[in-house]
Amino acid sequence: MTFLQQLTRYKDIVLYRTHASIKSEARQSYLGYVWFLLEPMMSTAVLYFAWSYINGAKGFEAILTILIGMVAWGWFESSVMGGAGSIKAKFHVLNQFSLPKWIFPVVTILVNSWKSLFVFGVVLAMAAAKGLIGVHTLWLPVILLVQLMLIVGLTLPISIAVTLMHDLTTVISSVFRLLFFVSGLFFTASQVKQKCVEGNTPGLYEAFLWNPMAVLIDAYRAVIQRGESPDFSLLGRAAGLALVFLVLGLAAHAYFDKKILKLTNV
Amino acid sequence: MLSKTKKEIWAVRGLNLDIFEGEKLGIMGRNGCGKSTLMRLLAGIYSADEGKVSYSRKDCHVELLSLGVGFEGNLSGAENAVLNGMLMGKSRKHMLERLDAIREFSGLNEFFDMPVYTYSSGMGLRLGFSVAMETDPDVLLIDEVLGVGDEVFVKKSEEALKQKFAGDRTVVLISHDAATIERMCTRAVWLEKGKILAEGNPAEVAAKYHQGVGAYTN
Repeated sequence: MTFLQQLTRYKDIVLYRTHASIKSEARQSYLGYVWFLLEPMMSTAVLYFAWSYINGAKGFEAILTILIGMVAWGWFESSVMGGAGSIKAKFHVLNQFSLPKWIFPVVTILVNSWKSLFVFGVVLAMAAAKGLIGVHTLWLPVILLVQLMLIVGLTLPISIAVTLMHDLTTVISSVFRLLFFVSGLFFTASQVKQKCVEGNTPGLYEAFLWNPMAVLIDAYRAVIQRGESPDFSLLGRAAGLALVFLVLGLAAHAYFDKKILKLTNV
Repeated sequence: MLSKTKKEIWAVRGLNLDIFEGEKLGIMGRNGCGKSTLMRLLAGIYSADEGKVSYSRKDCHVELLSLGVGFEGNLSGAENAVLNGMLMGKSRKHMLERLDAIREFSGLNEFFDMPVYTYSSGMGLRLGFSVAMETDPDVLLIDEVLGVGDEVFVKKSEEALKQKFAGDRTVVLISHDAATIERMCTRAVWLEKGKILAEGNPAEVAAKYHQGVGAYTN
């Protein structure tokens, strides 16, 4: 069965599980759905207070810069890290039912995507209140789609790799910690460019632009905050990278789907 | 240090087994004889590293009876019933249409609409069993599970299973208890180290099992 045939066959279960997981998550805490918004707001507040003292950037602009970075990053990190461990977390279920293994990473991604879309809506409302929304904001769905492709593309192969070799979880956490600091969450791409020009290190800026998350975060800021179109060549490169990961991930799932339970030590 | 993957163990190898439509096949054997691996192979959970498992019908719905696996504690019994049925291959619509029957059979009453984390383990089993009884697979695989729950529900669940056995559905029951297989099945197989040691009439296979199993027990 091809991936598309599986998608058609299992779409109901994916959607129902996503809906059930969102409900279940909200019921686990007193504040429920409010946490979906509160979590990125709190991280933004912490980063803002720390960073505004260092670089002196204060006010709504600085908050919005960090908030956009945090929402995009939060979506990326929680989806990939949560999705990576989701096969292992559902081993007892997979040992009883004949289900394709991608279901659980995809459900994790959809749950986090729904939460992030909700927060993106709030960010847009904040930007609109300040009169920042314009015609360029119409590019937002394209950027969201590229990020979703990147998330699915990374999560699929990582979910197989982490299930087969648990140690990779630690390695991937470290890579994510590094990416958190180099993806431009609390600084902008133009600041990186300026520093690289001043320091005569253009290679560093080029390396920065090979990070698809840095490109995506800058693209969000361009269309929401700066009233510009995204850099299409960089966005296209990020989409190309995402596509490569996606193909790799689908191939890994097709190969290991029925083998992985026998190969894993849980 | 790297996590070690499982050593290469052949739980089932060189097995040649036909299961006929409508029959009630009992597979008996000690713990670790390969029964559960065989069930997972039949259910399509594992792929065979050697040989193949084939079905005469392409869309054959094979289901391994599992009680309460995959329940989400924060969701209600009704929500979990739908979710669980979908895991077993049924559509959301199919399960929604059968919610009343599941509520009725489980006897959970008002608890059916309460989160599953409020259930006792027996109540969870009752819900799981009631869901499984409404999924109607072509081939039902039962791994040691027969009557579950308290005294009243044990009778009720055994009765429901007897009905499944009485119909024309194909049932494969695995158990280390030869008496259960003698009582419930029309044909039996004795499995040891992933190979068939005896096959045929349940009473005859059970007799061979009782006679010979000692040689394989440490």
